[in-house]
Formats: sequence, structure tokens, C-alpha cells
Amino acid sequence: MNSPAQIATKAFRAWQARKFGNADPRPHRIDRRRIYILPTGFGLILATLDVAMLIAALNYNSNLALAFAFLMASLALVAMHHCHRNLLDLCIDCVPETDGFAGAPLEFRFLLRNPSRLARREIEVRCAQFGAAVTSIGAGETVALAVPIAAAPRGVLRLTQFEVRTLYPFRWFFAWTYVQAPLTAYLAPRPAGAARPRGTAGSSGASHETQGDEEFAGLRPYAPGTPLKHMAWKVLARGGEPAVRNYTGLAAEPEWLDWAALRGQDAESRLEQLCRWVLDASDARQSYGLKLPGVELVPAQGPAHRLACLRALAGFAAPSAVR
Amino acid sequence: MIAPPPLRQRVSQNQLIATAGCLLLALLPHLLSLRRWLIAAILAAGGMRVLLALRGRDAPPRMLSAAVALLAILMLFTMFRSFSGLAAGTALLTLTASLKLLETRTRRDLCVIVLIVYFLCLTALLADASFWLLGYTLLVAWVTSACLLRSTTVTAELNARDSLRDTGRLLLQAVPIALVLWLFFPRFAEPLWHLPQPENAATTGLSDTLSPGDITDLALSDEVVMRAHFRGAVPPPRERYWRGPVLFDFDGRTWRRHDPDLIASPPLEPRGPAYVYTLNLEPHGHNWIYALDSPSSWDLARAYLTADYMLAQPNAIAQPLEVTVTSYTQTDSPSGLGSALRRRDTRLPADSNPRTRAFAAQLRALHPDDADYVAAVLKMFQTEQYFYTLEPPPLGADSVDQFLFETKRGFCGHYASAFAVLMRAADIPARVVTGYYGGTYNRYADYWLVRQSDAHAWVEVWIEGHGWMRVDPTSAIAPGRVEHSVRDAESASAALGMPLPNRLPWLRDLRLRTDALRELWRARILQYNQGAQQRLLARFNVPEPDVRKLVMVLAAALSLTLAWLTWHVRRELSPDAREPAVRAFDRLCAKLAACGLRRAASEPAESFALRVAGARPDLAAEVAALCRGYNELRYGARAGEADVGRFTAAVRAFRPRAVRGAFTPRGSRASS
Repeated sequence: MNSPAQIATKAFRAWQARKFGNADPRPHRIDRRRIYILPTGFGLILATLDVAMLIAALNYNSNLALAFAFLMASLALVAMHHCHRNLLDLCIDCVPETDGFAGAPLEFRFLLRNPSRLARREIEVRCAQFGAAVTSIGAGETVALAVPIAAAPRGVLRLTQFEVRTLYPFRWFFAWTYVQAPLTAYLAPRPAGAARPRGTAGSSGASHETQGDEEFAGLRPYAPGTPLKHMAWKVLARGGEPAVRNYTGLAAEPEWLDWAALRGQDAESRLEQLCRWVLDASDARQSYGLKLPGVELVPAQGPAHRLACLRALAGFAAPSAVR
Repeated sequence: MIAPPPLRQRVSQNQLIATAGCLLLALLPHLLSLRRWLIAAILAAGGMRVLLALRGRDAPPRMLSAAVALLAILMLFTMFRSFSGLAAGTALLTLTASLKLLETRTRRDLCVIVLIVYFLCLTALLADASFWLLGYTLLVAWVTSACLLRSTTVTAELNARDSLRDTGRLLLQAVPIALVLWLFFPRFAEPLWHLPQPENAATTGLSDTLSPGDITDLALSDEVVMRAHFRGAVPPPRERYWRGPVLFDFDGRTWRRHDPDLIASPPLEPRGPAYVYTLNLEPHGHNWIYALDSPSSWDLARAYLTADYMLAQPNAIAQPLEVTVTSYTQTDSPSGLGSALRRRDTRLPADSNPRTRAFAAQLRALHPDDADYVAAVLKMFQTEQYFYTLEPPPLGADSVDQFLFETKRGFCGHYASAFAVLMRAADIPARVVTGYYGGTYNRYADYWLVRQSDAHAWVEVWIEGHGWMRVDPTSAIAPGRVEHSVRDAESASAALGMPLPNRLPWLRDLRLRTDALRELWRARILQYNQGAQQRLLARFNVPEPDVRKLVMVLAAALSLTLAWLTWHVRRELSPDAREPAVRAFDRLCAKLAACGLRRAASEPAESFALRVAGARPDLAAEVAALCRGYNELRYGARAGEADVGRFTAAVRAFRPRAVRGAFTPRGSRASS
């Protein structure tokens, strides 16, 4: 952030954040008073050309040339209006949180709805300097847009606002607005290290991959994502609610994935190792807990728990980037 | 990380070819004025790039392009010596555009070419101001802008037709704004710094020499010389002589004039009525203005009268010229002719045309009076076998001798020349005047159209006591001795001032109509200047506008137009532009609401009608019919445009009378 333009942009965005807070309703309808518009470099060149055309026409006393110069100037004016209206009244919603791994691309997802009778072309959603994506939205249509975020190191990426901009038509003008809605990307450490060794502390050492060792322990209601082989088909065949057979492994006692157990490595390596274990345990449908200095997630199962663990790993002692 | 900015992206084959096409379109109007090698270079550069693109190859190496560009610009500079001026500027622009095309790699390069295309359109309009060219340049601007629209978008949805439609819509919306700017932008009486002179002003029409013996086939074109609007009286046909160059220097074969004549001319005393008229001269490359006989005043500061009463301006007329002149067709010069002028206008080369001079001496002996002598010569032309033809035989060295006594065939130039020589041989000062005679009246736009085919030559002789008198020897020829082909029927009749039967009256009429339109275009559009702007503003009750007032008017008109644009764009944007029937029904509800009969948002039309009937029995039938009509329009199977129109009209005609306290809103009645 060194060039004057960048400094100005930063100051402007900060002022916007102060002025409009950080809680725009979702979905947010882009308001007239929050659309800003400026000529682009190309637009300024066109303006210069138009002035030259005007001077030539006046000097040669040519009414037709004058009319042509005025038409080009008017075209620019009309283009300015259309650039502005391209954003006006557009409804935009976002998925406020997204998860990924360090070094791998991830994306913020948006939903753009065009309630008007005119198509909106070339709408760009931009998440600060992390990424941008362009789309067009037909009249009355709703379009889902994923803004890819370039690979980043482990951590939590917080944005307090995102930008919606357009340069349509002709790229002579540049209209933009800031939507004050927090966006968070959790970048868990890249899973690495060894598989979890059997029989280490805190674990009974049983294999969790052999389902034969497990005992049937009643039924529980079906939840989407359950492997088909665990379905209680007989119950379903009898006409009952879909149910899932519950097993209790021999190693039913929860497994603790512990930071403290990984002495002798640096922090990032430890986190990467823990991440691998979390994923392994989750894949094995095992109950597990996570212990980090100052953070303790009690053993549990399921996608929500997995997500919580990964976010804890992402956010652990990391300087979270707030933009 | 962000994808590279769109303008840095490589051009696609289609974009490149489309832009090259636009450039070619913009070059077409310039092709005639560009040098051949330049056209070849432009086509070669553009064609090469397109060929490379078709083969999927990139632009040639930058070093090569730069070398070619440097070479071309050097050649241009050696040709023009400067880059200012229309021709040189246009040449440079076209060359730059084609070289830019050659080195095009990214979309940014295309944007530069588009800007050059815009400017080329403008320079085409600077060089030529025809209606068709304006239409053509607008078309080019449209297609080019559509091309730009496609080159500057990232998403793939925009196809060629969409981009043309979108750009067309933008241009249409721009037209009212452009019109307001054009009407009210302050015009200046003088150009900003200097009026650029076209480098090669072509000379057309009359020249400043006349050698009748050389021309054997006088091809008279229909090219327009000028248009004349008379304010008030129109001179009778016999006095519609538009004077051009006055030729006084005769070498036995050719009449000439010399420009700086510092001889004092005898003062004129006007006789008869003055005629006021406005001339719109087409550029002809000479400095004279074809005024009617003796101009007495004119509104062109730089114009002056020569010793021969020819109206002229210091430099050649290279652009359309408008001038209002007051002229007298009859004048006297009671004071005598100065000796210098007398000597000049009686001089004949000593050794030329001996027979003519001998004949003149004989005739002069019979008619010592100047006026008698003039009449005798005219009578000779009239009674003897002299013929008028546009295809005369060629004449030798003593052209007047040969014409008068051998061939006896010629057109106005021959007769004027022979007559003037006969006068001079009798020591009467005489000179040949060339110009135009008559013109065609255009009743569609009230002006006189003078064409090249109206070209004429006549003679002015000095009669002591009267001054210069116009004599038209050609008109002395008996009508029966006019030899004319179909081609020159009109010209001959014009030259002789007599009507000939018109073979194609409708064609003539059509031509007059077209010319009236052209004149309208010229007068209203091309000549829209400070004066016209002031007259327009006077209509809006803005008298004597200065620049400050003009800017205010411009700002006001512009804000109105922009307000319209904003409204228009918003209307297009609104999601619920409702059908006319719904709007009409809303108006109906508003009218009833004004009487206190408010329809609840959830209330169907039929039940609302029932409720109205309960509260206002006097309106019951009408409202019930309207509500039924509305339901049929909205939900009925067959409802056409006409039905909607009828319903709208019925709603408009419906005027309920307000009765106070006659109605309780539904909500309150339910609660009571």
C-alpha cells in the first residue's frame, strides 16, 4: 500500500466503514447514495480526445463535426448513467464464512439477484486484494458467484467489507460500492505429518477401520451424509423412519489429539500434524477431542465438530488478517 | 492474486478482425484524398495483421513494427513538411491507426484504434459536409462502439447482436443530449485561431480567360454555382445578369484580366430599384463573387469592388460563402471615363483581325453615333445568318475574323468577343463580362438556383453620358437559328433567355425538390451560426444572448435532458412496469379514494364494486361496469389492445362527485 491511489482507496474504505458500520442487512440492496463513480484512465483519454474533436470542429467552423463531437461526449454521459445504473438496486447476499486449508485455493460465495428488467453486465465482486470475480445477471435472474481467494498461509482472513464494481459499458467509467458485511475465511493448516500411531497415550490402540470389532449399540435417527452401509434398512423396510445403526467400537473412549504430545517440533508443524489427525479421526468416524494451549474442544463427532476443530487450528495464535 | 486486467488480455481473432473492419469503414471516406502509396501501406499493414491473426499468429516483433512506423512517418514528413492541417493530419492518423493494428497484441491496443477511428470520422466530416457522410460516420461510430463494447467485456455473454443493440440504445439516448449541446453551445463569429485553408482548393466554373476559338464542345455541367434568395423584389428576367470576371485585355484571340488594377473607376449613380439578396456561393477557388450588376453594399467586411465593379474578396473562395448584397441593375455615370480606363478598354492588337477592323470602319462611317453603331451591330447579328451552337468549329489565329465572316457559328463567348472587338475597332470602350445569366427558380424553397450551365458572356460598352451599358449580343440571334441537341436544350434556352419546351418536367421537378432539401440542409444545419442561434433563443424569450446567457440556457436545457435520461433509465430499471389496464384501474381507485372510497389492497375488484354500490348508489352502475371490465381485461380469455384502450378511456371519463360523510371505510364498519 504505497501508491497514492492505494492510500486514497484505503482511507476511503475506512471512511465507508465508519460511516455505514459493519452490519449491512443481508441480502443487501445497493442504494443510490452508496454508489460512487469515477472516470477510468481510458475515459480520461476519451475526454481529452473529445476536447480535441471539439476544438477542431470549432476551429474549422464545421457544424457536422461539432455535432459528431457532441454525440461522442453525450455517448460518454449516457455511458456514465448506465454504468451507475448497472449497480443500482442490485441485491447481493454472501456466505459470510468459508473454510479451507493453507496453500490451497478457496472461495467466498455470493448470490446476486437482479430484480429489474434490464440485464446487468460485467458485475465484479471483489474481496479486497484477495480475489475478484465477474459475472453478468440477466433481467430478473439470480446468479451465484464464487470469488476465488488465492492460496494463503494458515490463519483467519477477516474482511469487514467487500466491493461490488462495474466498468460496463466501454470501461470509460468505473462505478463501485462497498457492502459492509463481514466475511471470514478460515485457513486450517495444511494436513501433514505421520498417521496417528496406534496405542499411544490416550488411545486404546484399537483399529478403527475394522468395523467387525464394533458392537451394535442401538439406532439413531438418520442424518444426511451417513454411509449407506450403516443404514438400518430393515427398519426402513418395515415402514419406520430412516434410521442408522449405531456402533460402539471397542475403543469407544474418546481420543484426545493433544498439542502437548508433539513436543520437539515447531508450532506450525505441530498444527499441521494435528490437522492431519483431526481429518483422519473424522474420516474414521471416531470421537475425538482437541487440546491446544488455551483451547480445549471436548471429544465429539460429526462435521460440525470437525469444522470447529479445523477453525481452532486455523485461528490458533495466528495473526488474523483483518481487511 | 487477481487475473490480469482485462485490457491487458490478448486479443481474440474475432475482436481483431472486427476492429480492422471498423478501421477500414472509417478509412473509406478518406480514400479519395489519400496518396496512393499511403493507401497501399495502410492496407498492407492491416491486411498483414489480419492474415497473421487468421493463421493464429501474434503481431510481428516490436522492433520490426517500430522500424516500419519510423520509416512511414519520415516519408509522411518529407511529403507534407508538417503534421498540422487537415490532409497531413488525416494521413498521419490513418497511418498510425494501421500501424497500431499491425502491432496489436492486447485489448488495450484495440481501444487505441477505436479512439483513432472516432477521430477519423470527425476529420471526414471536416473535409466534407454532406448529409450522407454524416449518416455514414454515425453508422461507423455505432459499429465501432459496439466493437469496443465487446472488446472491453470479460464475461462471454455479449454476442455481436447484443452489443450492437446495447450500443444502439446508448447512442439513441445520447442523441437528445447531443442535440441540446449542438443547439445551445455558444458559437463564435470567428474561428478560435485561424481559419485553415484547404490545401488544394479546386477551381471550378468560370476562369479569368476566354478564348472562344479553342473550345469546340462546350460541356456545361449541372453543378451548382450558387443559390440566391431575394429579399423583396426580384429583378425582371432581362436583368438577372450575375457578373463574374470582367475581361479587358485582348491579344487577338484570348480575353484576359489582370488582378491588381489600380485604375480609378467612374462613380455610379443608381437608377431604378435596388435589389437585396443573399448569395450562397459554392466554393469555386477564385476570389470573385457573382453579384447582380452593380453592387452598392454587402455584409462581408473583407470584400471589395474592383475598377470594373466586380465584387471580390482578397483570397480564393474555398469554403461555402454566404453574403448579402444590395445591387442596382441600372446605373448612370454622368462623369466621363478616365483616360487610363478608356485607353485600356479600346486597345486592340494592331496586327490582328484586319477584316473585322475594316468592317468596323465601314460601319462606323455610316453610324457616327455610338448608340446607333451598337444597334447596327446587333441588327447585323440578328438579320444575317449567324447561328448559336454549343459545338462550334475551331477557329484560327484571327478568331474574330474567321467567326464573323466564315463560320458564323458560336456560343455566347464568340458573340461577346466579336462584339467587343467591333466596338473597340470603332473606338468605343468595351469589355467582355463573364458570369451567369438567369437561374432556375425553386418554388419549394424560394430561391434561384444558378448552375454551371447558366454560364454566359456578354459585353459592356461605354456610352458617353450614360456610362457602362450592358449589351448581350447572343440574345440578338433569332430563335430559329439556335442549333441545339437534346443534351444542351436547357443550357441553350437559358443562355438565350427563352423558354424551350421541357422534355422531362417531372425530372426537373425532382431535381428542384432535391436541391431544395440540400439548401435546407445547408441553411439550417451547415450554416447554423451565431445569428441563427440568437434567432432561436429569441423564440424562447431570451433576447440578445451573450455568452453568459447562452451558458445558462445550455445548462438549463442540459439539466432537463439529463433529468429525462435519469428518469428514462430508472423506468427501464423498475421491476414492476405494469400493464396499462392495471395503471388505469389504479387511477380509478385513486378517483374513488378522493371521494372517500378507499379500496383495501387485498380487496378484489368485484367486492369493492359491491361496497361502493352500498355506499354510493349513484355510482353503483358505473363502478360495477368498470370493475367488471377490469376483471375481464386481467383474467378474461380474450382481451385485445382496443379493449384496453376503451377501458382506459372509460376510466378517464369517469368523474365521481364527492359527497362528504357518505361512506364509512370497510374497517370501521366491521368494528362498529
